Amino acid sequence: MAPTPEEHPNKAAFLLRVRSALGRTEPIVHMPDHPSLKSNAMRQQEKVRTIVARNEARRSPTLDRLARTAAAASWNVRRAGDAEEAASIVAEIAQQSGVKNLVRSAEDVFKRVNIDTALRSVGVSPAILASGRSRSRGALRDMAFRADMGVTGVSYAIAETASCAVIPRKGVARLASLAPPRLILLIEPEQVLETLDDFFAVTRLNRMQARGRATNYFNFISGPSRTADIEQTLTIGVHGPGEVHMVILG
Amino acid sequence: MAEVKSAEFKKASGRALRDEKLQHALEHVMEHFVGARANIIESDFGDESWESMRTRAAAIKQSTLEHLDYYLDMVDKSVRRNGGHVYFADDAAQANAIVLDIAKRNGVKTVIKSKSMVSEEMGVNHILEREGIEPVETDLGEYIIQLAGETPFHIIAPAMHKTRQEVSSLFQEWLKTAPTQDIKRLCVYARDALREKFAAADMGISGANFVVAETGTVCLVTNEGNGRMTTSAPRIHVVLAGMEKIVPAIEDLALFLRLLPRSATGQRITSYNTFVGGPRAPSDEDGPEEFHLVFVDNGRLNLLRDEVMREALRCIRCGACLNHCPVYQKIGGHAYGWVYSGPIGAVVTPPMTNMKVARDLPYASTLCGTCKDVCPVKIDIPRLLLHLRHKVAEGALGERSTTWMERLFVGQWHGAMRNRRALEGKANLGRLLTRPFARGGKVRKLPFAPMVSGWTASRDFPAPAPKSFARLWREELAQDNVHPNGMEQR
Amino acid sequence: MKVLRRLGVDVGFPEDQTCCGQIAFNGGFRSHAADVAKHFLDVFENEEQVVVPSGSCASMIKVYYRELFEDDPETLERAQAVGEKTRELSDYIVNVVGTSDVGAASEGLVTYHDACHLLRELRIKEAPRDLIGGVRGIELQEMEDSNACCGFGGLFSVKFPEISTAILDEKLKNIAESGAGAVVANDCGCLMHIRGAMERRGMNVRAMHIAELLAEDGTDG
Ligand code: SF4
Repeated sequence: MAPTPEEHPNKAAFLLRVRSALGRTEPIVHMPDHPSLKSNAMRQQEKVRTIVARNEARRSPTLDRLARTAAAASWNVRRAGDAEEAASIVAEIAQQSGVKNLVRSAEDVFKRVNIDTALRSVGVSPAILASGRSRSRGALRDMAFRADMGVTGVSYAIAETASCAVIPRKGVARLASLAPPRLILLIEPEQVLETLDDFFAVTRLNRMQARGRATNYFNFISGPSRTADIEQTLTIGVHGPGEVHMVILG
Repeated sequence: MAEVKSAEFKKASGRALRDEKLQHALEHVMEHFVGARANIIESDFGDESWESMRTRAAAIKQSTLEHLDYYLDMVDKSVRRNGGHVYFADDAAQANAIVLDIAKRNGVKTVIKSKSMVSEEMGVNHILEREGIEPVETDLGEYIIQLAGETPFHIIAPAMHKTRQEVSSLFQEWLKTAPTQDIKRLCVYARDALREKFAAADMGISGANFVVAETGTVCLVTNEGNGRMTTSAPRIHVVLAGMEKIVPAIEDLALFLRLLPRSATGQRITSYNTFVGGPRAPSDEDGPEEFHLVFVDNGRLNLLRDEVMREALRCIRCGACLNHCPVYQKIGGHAYGWVYSGPIGAVVTPPMTNMKVARDLPYASTLCGTCKDVCPVKIDIPRLLLHLRHKVAEGALGERSTTWMERLFVGQWHGAMRNRRALEGKANLGRLLTRPFARGGKVRKLPFAPMVSGWTASRDFPAPAPKSFARLWREELAQDNVHPNGMEQR
Repeated sequence: MKVLRRLGVDVGFPEDQTCCGQIAFNGGFRSHAADVAKHFLDVFENEEQVVVPSGSCASMIKVYYRELFEDDPETLERAQAVGEKTRELSDYIVNVVGTSDVGAASEGLVTYHDACHLLRELRIKEAPRDLIGGVRGIELQEMEDSNACCGFGGLFSVKFPEISTAILDEKLKNIAESGAGAVVANDCGCLMHIRGAMERRGMNVRAMHIAELLAEDGTDG
């Protein structure tokens, strides 16, 4: 791992001025009282266990809730009974949109949901958006910008806000869910959490357990890219995908 | 630093009032924001739980400010642990120098920017341009503003004062696109133009909606996707953050992400939230190789130092106080003369820039209190405005700046109000002086009183009653045979 | 006064009274305001109950005196004591005297303007409406955005008359559109402001203090 970057030379003086503006002369040594800061890994684990249990017990209403909030946030929501149906829904959407250039990420969900075969059967051949051996940074970027549809999985989906948490990693490029104008996200039932609180509690634990090797980056995708910057008129699809599909397994 | 034109408030607000097109846009947009916010809060939470969320958010932000040195240190350590760089800039000049240095070191030619109010404070675009580096705003509204060479009109809707025709001719001029009235088309033009920039840029600059101390995570809240582009496509990512942007724990974000979009645009959540705390991991497919977080003071210490004003730093820049302010609804953002407008602009501009230049701003409010009711972090804006007025009227020499007329008026009033007899004497004088101008109990014009002549331009001023209430009271009591103190005589 | 006495309240008008000090306070001249406020306390301290006919004066006494005397604990204590026994007129009648029928009678459609301080500092919203509802022959017709500011703001209307008037225009539009023959408010500032503009424009709507409405007994108009 790269060495930790150095401290900025102005830091000490800056903090000193802040401190004196607050009327203190000494730095604070004990962590201020803030409940969600103080909970250690063990307590956090306990908390997350409860969250997971609750989510398991309430899976079915939570999936319904996700479908509802997603529809309200302009997602096109489809629910699939099984993996096979999910794959054919993806193919159907691609066909309907007249897609030519489809990219997908390389992640586990595609081992279960074989979209490649389904897509080929409708004449679309998916490409995997990953760097591989021969692909440079620029080539990956070009490929992403050329595509007219992206398909990826999610790490979590949050029913409260219809937010899909996408965590880039090996096989999951950031641009796969961002650059193409159309996007399909595949969601598996056990990835769905009820609330934002659930999500951040789980994320905190994941970071603690990753011991400094956690990813520095993740995104919520909660609907189509939109703007109302001209005359307050809602327009869909600016820099990100304007057409967004959510395929929920279950 | 961006120029402070707040001394022009009166003139500029007059211009805005006479601009019909602008009045139309203001009415439309404000109504939309106000309605959307009320609806989503009612449907999702109801008043009571919304209120308790505001209380909790206010407490978290206030406590963070009270321990700001501690949390700044915590962020610094977290981000560096993630492999990012952290800087501390006292003012705009230092912050600009830091950004410029990063750019030059890396031979940067094009910079893409996603919305950052701090960068507006710094005027960083200008600095980059001077060095031959092209800065490109990527938020559609900001992009329009940049092409027009203006400053943002509203915190979250920077170009709301521009019509589609104006945008079309701006694009014609700068992007050589065909004229169109179709807003969708205009968005496509901008998207295509900006796509090229995204692909070419070596550096992305973003603001920060929240900075989480324990994890070093910067949270960006956007709708268009430009925030994601800025943090994904270029090789270097620089974050500019006011030093007050910190929340202690990652779990705090749940609360703030509920409050911010609902207060701002009436959305349940925005289309995108980006969370970034450092450079890409070696195994990542894409993403910036360098991550720099620049904390900026630039006058914020003046707010922090003053125990009353400190709470202004709780602001999460949602714009709700603007949207609900009767004054902002009429004059819009430019009259305030600096980066921040509306009620919160009136609060932070004088202490952050110059109390004398911005002396009109604390008075540019009816103190109606709506801002305080809608603020997601419960900033008591009217109280802060009154505090600033106190400084303008009676503060230290460097801050005080009233006119002789106001002092004369207050002096006279003061004399009268401590003593009923003096009051009645003055009132009698008032009756005498206004009589020539009074018709049917109304004063239509008071030419000799410059302080109130503006009032009588559009409203009648009630002429002093021929008899004071106290005198009527005495007379009535005399008839009823009661003693003036109210005790019936038996 | 008439109304309160009609309700059997023993009313007095301490003749030495002047002002609560809000003008100077809002102008930033706190030392002047404090002097005047102290005079107010001198005059009213020994009364059993202080009833104030204006929302902004009541909120000055009940809310902002705390701020004004922040560094003067002795006066602060006095101010708090007076603040506690100070009630705005409509609040006093409905919640202390305990009635919304003061025996008034009039006729026609009336609309109500929520004065800012009354609503947002003192949170008084229903009492005036109850009282209006209690006047025989009167019907309350709510206007659009009754809780929106009228643009007065005391000093504000003097310093920025153009903006103030533009805000007022909205209010007048909403008053006119309500179709009411009179607009009632519980704040002397708002009323002076609204009345002044309506008269200048020749609008055929009366601007009335709630006490004026409650004083009507059906014989005059
Ligand atoms: S002061 Fe409050 S309402 Fe205004 S922008 Fe800041 S957070 Fe939003």
